[in-house]
Amino acid sequence: MTPTSLFPAATAAELTIATPEGVLFRLPLAGPASRLYAMLLDAVIVLGAVNGVGFLVYWIFSKAPGFGFMMITLAEFAIGFAYSALLEGFWNGQTVGKRLFHLRVVDQSGLPLRLEQAWVRNLMRVLDALPFAYLVGGLSVLSSPLMQRFGDRVAGTLVMRQAPLPEPSEEFWMGQKYNSFVDYPAIAIKLRKAATPELASLIQDALRRRNQLAPYARREIHREITAYLQTEISQFPDELVERLSDEQYLINASGILFNRQRHSK
Amino acid sequence: MILDLERFQAQARPRWRDLESLLAVLENRPDRRLNPAEAEQLQALYAQTAADLNRVTHGALSPELRQYLERLVARSYSELYYAPPMRSEIWQPRRWLRIFTAFPETFRQHARYFLLALLITLLGCTFGGLAVHYDPASVDVLLPADYLRNPGQRVHEEEQGEPKHPRSAQIEAGFSAQLIKHNIQIALLTAALGVTFGIGTAILLFENGLLLGAVAVHYTQQGFGLFMTAWLLPHGVFEIPSILIAGQAGFYLARLLLRRQQDRDVRQSMREWLVLICGLAMMLVWAGLMEAFFSQHHAPVLPYGFKVAVAAGELVLLTIYLLMIGRKATDATGSSTVGSANQ
Repeated sequence: MTPTSLFPAATAAELTIATPEGVLFRLPLAGPASRLYAMLLDAVIVLGAVNGVGFLVYWIFSKAPGFGFMMITLAEFAIGFAYSALLEGFWNGQTVGKRLFHLRVVDQSGLPLRLEQAWVRNLMRVLDALPFAYLVGGLSVLSSPLMQRFGDRVAGTLVMRQAPLPEPSEEFWMGQKYNSFVDYPAIAIKLRKAATPELASLIQDALRRRNQLAPYARREIHREITAYLQTEISQFPDELVERLSDEQYLINASGILFNRQRHSK
Repeated sequence: MILDLERFQAQARPRWRDLESLLAVLENRPDRRLNPAEAEQLQALYAQTAADLNRVTHGALSPELRQYLERLVARSYSELYYAPPMRSEIWQPRRWLRIFTAFPETFRQHARYFLLALLITLLGCTFGGLAVHYDPASVDVLLPADYLRNPGQRVHEEEQGEPKHPRSAQIEAGFSAQLIKHNIQIALLTAALGVTFGIGTAILLFENGLLLGAVAVHYTQQGFGLFMTAWLLPHGVFEIPSILIAGQAGFYLARLLLRRQQDRDVRQSMREWLVLICGLAMMLVWAGLMEAFFSQHHAPVLPYGFKVAVAAGELVLLTIYLLMIGRKATDATGSSTVGSANQ
C-alpha cells in the first residue's frame, strides 16, 4: 500500500506528510473560496463546451430536433461529470479552473490522485452540490480538518494550494559591507553563543517584515528586540549603540549570527 | 548551533537547481516513467534536498526557503513513489468492455447489500400498500401528483387521447433523455448518501417503496391493475432494480467508510463502487428509452398482454445477466487472489 503514515496537522491550513525516509513536509490546503472560484470558471467552460456540442448536434440532427435534444441533454449530463474527472485524472489533479487558481487535487498521502479517485470525487458532486450552490460541500469543507468535501472524504483526496514559488533570494541585509559589531569580537562571540535559533529567526522575521509593518509598530518591535538583546544577551558599548538606529542594530546582530566566514576573518 | 544561511544556500543552490530542472522534465513527460539513470539521480537529489529541508526546519529559519524546499521535496516524493497507469492500459477497448462482466460479478459479490436495499424497499411498499388499503384518504398525502391520485381519469386520457395527439418519436426522444438524466441523478444521490452511514440511502429507498406500494394498491382497487402493470413494468423492471443497486452501492459505501481502517485495498473497493454506478447507469439508459418509446403506448395500439410479456422477457434476461454472466471469471479471480495472498 502507500508507503506513508499520516499525521493530520493541528492547524486547518496544512497537512504534514511524513515520508518513509523520515522527512516531514507540509502541504498547504485550499480553502472553500478559491475552490468555488475555480469551480465557477470550470462551469463556464463546461457550459461553453456543451453549447458548442449543441450547435453541432442541431446541425447534424436538423431534420430531427427531438433526437438532437436527446443527444444534447445526455451529452450535457455526461460532460458535466467527465470534464472534471478526466482532466483531474489525466492532468495531474487539475482542471482548467484549478490550474488558473493554483489548486491541485492530490491523494491524502501527498501522491498524485488516481483515475478512480477522480471519478469518485466528481460523481459525489450530486450530494455536495445540494441543496444549491454547493452548500453541503461547503459545510463539509469548513467542518473538516483537511478541508474535504464529502467527495474528497470518500475518495481520500484533498485540494492543495500550489502557487508558483520563486527560488528564495539572499536576504538583502546579508551583503552589507561594514558591520561595526565586528570591531568587538568578544561581545560578538558572546552573542553567537547565547542566541537560540528561535531568537535568531525572530530577529530575521522582524527585519524581513519591516516594510509590511506600520511605522509605529516597526519602531516599537525593533526597539523591544534591541533592548532585550542589549540587556539580556550581549551588551555592546553604549557609545556604539547610541550611534545606531534600532534597526541597524538588528541588521548588525543578524550579520553576526548568520555570516560566519565574513566575521571570523 | 545557528546555521550559516548564506554559505548554506550558496553550497546547496546548484543541487536544488538540478533537482528542479529534472522535475520539470519528468512532470512534462506524458507517461511519467523514469529510466534507471534518472531514477538514481532523482533519488540522490531527493535525499540531499530532504536533508537540507531538515536543517532549515530545525533551525527555524527563513520561511521562504523552507517553503521552497518543501515544495521541491513534495514534488520529488510524488515522482518517486507514484506508479502512473500505463498508457496502453488505459486505451484498450477490451478493458473497457470488461465492464459488462465486471458489473454482474460485483453485483453478486456484494449481494447482501442488495438484499438489504430490497428489504427496505419492500418494507416501504408494504407500508404504502397497507396505508392505502385501510385508509383510502391517505392517498392524498402519499401520492403527490394528481394523475397518480385519479387513475380512472388518467387511464381514460391515456387510452382515448392517443389518436388525437399522435406521439411523435421526436417528442419521445427528448422525453427519454430527461428521464434518463433525472433517474441517474436520483440513483447517484441514493448511492452518494452512503456517506450518511447509509441512513440517507435507506430513507430514499423507503420513500421510493412507499410510493410504489401506494400506487399499486390504489390502481388495483380502482380496477386498473392490468393497465398499471402494462404501463409501469416495461421500464420498471429495469428502473426499480437499478434504484435497488444504487441502494446497494450506498450501503457498500457506508460499510467502507465505517471500516476504513480494516480495509486494506481501498482502491479496489472504489473501483467496485464505480462499476456498480456504471452498470446501473446503463440499465437506466435502457429503462428511459423503454419508458418513452414503449410504456406510454396503450391498449388499442399495443395490447396489454403484449406489454406485460415484453416486461417479463426483460426481467428474465436481466436476471440471467446479473446472476449468470462472468461466473467462471469470478471463480478464476477468486482463486488467483487466494494464490497471491499465499505468496
